[in-house]
Amino acid sequence: MTAERCEWRESLGAHALGRLADDERAALEAHLEGCAGCRAELESLAGVARLMPLADPERFDEAPAPPSALGERILATVAAERRSSRRRRRRFGLAWSGAAAATATAAVLAVFVLAGGGDSGAPERHVAFASLPAEMHIDATLAPRSYGTEIQVYVSGVSSGTLCRVFVRGTGGARLSAGSFRYRWDGDTHAVLSSALDLSNTEAIGIRVGRRTFVAPVTPVSQAGENRRT
Amino acid sequence: MPAPAETETVAGALREERDVREAYAAHAGELYGFALRSLGDAGMAEEAVQETFLRAWRAGERFDPQIGSLRTWLFAILRNVVIDLGRARAVRPRVAEGGIEPSVEPIDEALLGWQMEEAMRRIGEQHRRVLVETYYRGRPYAEVAKDLGVPEGTVKSRVYYGLRALRVALEEIGYDG
Repeated sequence: MTAERCEWRESLGAHALGRLADDERAALEAHLEGCAGCRAELESLAGVARLMPLADPERFDEAPAPPSALGERILATVAAERRSSRRRRRRFGLAWSGAAAATATAAVLAVFVLAGGGDSGAPERHVAFASLPAEMHIDATLAPRSYGTEIQVYVSGVSSGTLCRVFVRGTGGARLSAGSFRYRWDGDTHAVLSSALDLSNTEAIGIRVGRRTFVAPVTPVSQAGENRRT
Repeated sequence: MPAPAETETVAGALREERDVREAYAAHAGELYGFALRSLGDAGMAEEAVQETFLRAWRAGERFDPQIGSLRTWLFAILRNVVIDLGRARAVRPRVAEGGIEPSVEPIDEALLGWQMEEAMRRIGEQHRRVLVETYYRGRPYAEVAKDLGVPEGTVKSRVYYGLRALRVALEEIGYDG
């Protein structure tokens, strides 16, 4: 006999929740011995019953809705990222997807050094950190300035509130701090920092994200403009 | 329509802003509900939902419909985001008290609790009411029957069909236990 047609089936819910009186429970248990359909149904209902203590009945009526502005904010951020990523792709010809398969060690696979778009002739350098954890992305642009070097760092995919400390290493081995910033999900992940070290003397740039440090070499300009599109 | 890309288009992947818009319309309510349930703070829940869609957008190419639905993928991302946020705060109260180890992670317990609450919202009022009265308030079936003006057998029957309705709703929500 299947559970659907069995006269006992409507007692299975109360039994799964432990609410049958002793005599009724004994009779049902005797029936279960010989009814595979009811046994299977009881087992399935018991799975549901096990979850019930985890629910808070105070929450059954409310179905909280996200604030109406949230969707637009997300779409605006997505649109901004798309624009910024297109701009970087155009200028640097980067293939971001390569970084995704990498492991979580500090290593550098790709460094792109190209001329900047300005007409001053002073080259800026773009450094992409590779071999980052899958969700993380870091790249930096270094531009020569009269005081030293302007460093723009773009970080994404780390926990909100994470402290990021940036440093540069000179050709002589000296290490200089280039400042720090805190990563925020809802704010600008594009930090503008500066260093007193001249770009021509900058050998490497490093960033300490939380407790992990990633370093990328800053190589001399040799193929400036090669990938530039007009 | 643009010409097909050289790579096969993955249905449901967040490649275009339009995809994000559609995914948001379809899933943001549930994601926000779960985030709020686990984090207990509207501002953090918003932040978590935003980060979830941004991560999904950045990793859009990695979405694989062979593995699971877009909804499942978004929930998996949100789960990680909530864990990250929990670590960042590091002040979330432990579920276990008195030194008893929880059998599941707090985050998963929150997910199961949210799924059951969502399922309760989806079943009929009659079924929900008898389950709340008899299970959550622990009232005798006879008393509830009297309140509702129905025979006790009807209460028992509604408990049974209520559990069945919950089972269906849980399957819809994605509970696979």
